[in-house]
Amino acid sequence: MTSSSSSSSSSSSADAPLDDLDLGLLDRVREMYQAADPMPEDLPERICYLLALRDLEVEVARLAAGQDLLASAARGTEQSRTITFDSDSLTIMIRIDANGDGTVRVDGWLAPAQRVGIELKTSASADALSASSDEQGRFAFARVPRGTAQLMVRPEGQGRSVVTPALVL
Amino acid sequence: MPERGRTTGRADQQDHGQVPAQAGRQERGERVAELLEAARAGSDEALGRIVAEHSPLLWHVARAAGLSSGDAEDVLQTVWLRLLAHLDDIRTSAALTGWLVVTARREAWRVRAAGRRQVPAEGEALDTLPDQGAGPQEQVLIEDQRRTLWVAIAQLSARCQELLRIVAFVPRPDYSAVAAELGMPVGSVGPTRGRCLAKLRILLGLDPEGSLI
Repeated sequence: MTSSSSSSSSSSSADAPLDDLDLGLLDRVREMYQAADPMPEDLPERICYLLALRDLEVEVARLAAGQDLLASAARGTEQSRTITFDSDSLTIMIRIDANGDGTVRVDGWLAPAQRVGIELKTSASADALSASSDEQGRFAFARVPRGTAQLMVRPEGQGRSVVTPALVL
Repeated sequence: MPERGRTTGRADQQDHGQVPAQAGRQERGERVAELLEAARAGSDEALGRIVAEHSPLLWHVARAAGLSSGDAEDVLQTVWLRLLAHLDDIRTSAALTGWLVVTARREAWRVRAAGRRQVPAEGEALDTLPDQGAGPQEQVLIEDQRRTLWVAIAQLSARCQELLRIVAFVPRPDYSAVAAELGMPVGSVGPTRGRCLAKLRILLGLDPEGSLI
């Protein structure tokens, strides 16, 4: 910096306008946080999938209390995992088992039990997989490619759709 | 909104790069306004570009509030879903950035208050920076600079840390729009440095000690 443009305040004054040094510093701050704590790369894509539904009423289910999606994903690909999601209207429980051919099997239960259409959107394909739950609320996807996936429950009629956060299969 | 560009004709300020900021504002403003209009008309592609461009900002808003990764993802989903309902009211880049930051911050506070899966303030450490090992010299230099910056920022108040992290991700032409919300003072020519940046400059030895007001 050569000279401060404002007459009275010194260059480090808090009420001086932002100068090049400040802007450069903010660039470095941004770059540092980008490196230290990057946003998951596929997050915008998953959000876009959600938004493309243009469904203002859609409910985003949350992981049931006490569960950690990352921890459960990190437990490895061998064991079967059970994950529960809660939303205001619905509880979704799924069990994920490895098929041995690089795909996984997803078995699920809905509570309250109901017959509804269920979609599984995976990062492996632009088209979602479809299934329906039976009267007991059970549904299954026999062969699902590994990757991130998001489950959507679409009640017929006036019920709200429920989507889960993305999970890693 | 303060007119930041009004005083940029002065030669000394041009030297400090104020003119590109004004040009950037116009360019970004027009581009984002067009994307918003296309999104309103139903274009998923335009909406997708808005999401891709602004999600990192929202991620750091949520993480700066102390949320876990999972909660931060939830906050982003909620905020973007809510934007769909507000697309008709938001027509400018500044309005969009302002709305996104405010909404993400409130939602992050709400989630944090609900006490779910909080990350301890100390949970994030520089260890999380990818270790470049014995990389090229330039890389080592960059790592050193990041570490210095990290150490300096860690000495700031929690409030300053949050503020600087958010502001660093706000597109510059939209600073004025978020300044008030973030408690950044706005002077006659736009946002001012504020205590947090002033303190950081001193901590980094960029300004003489003791000149902080």
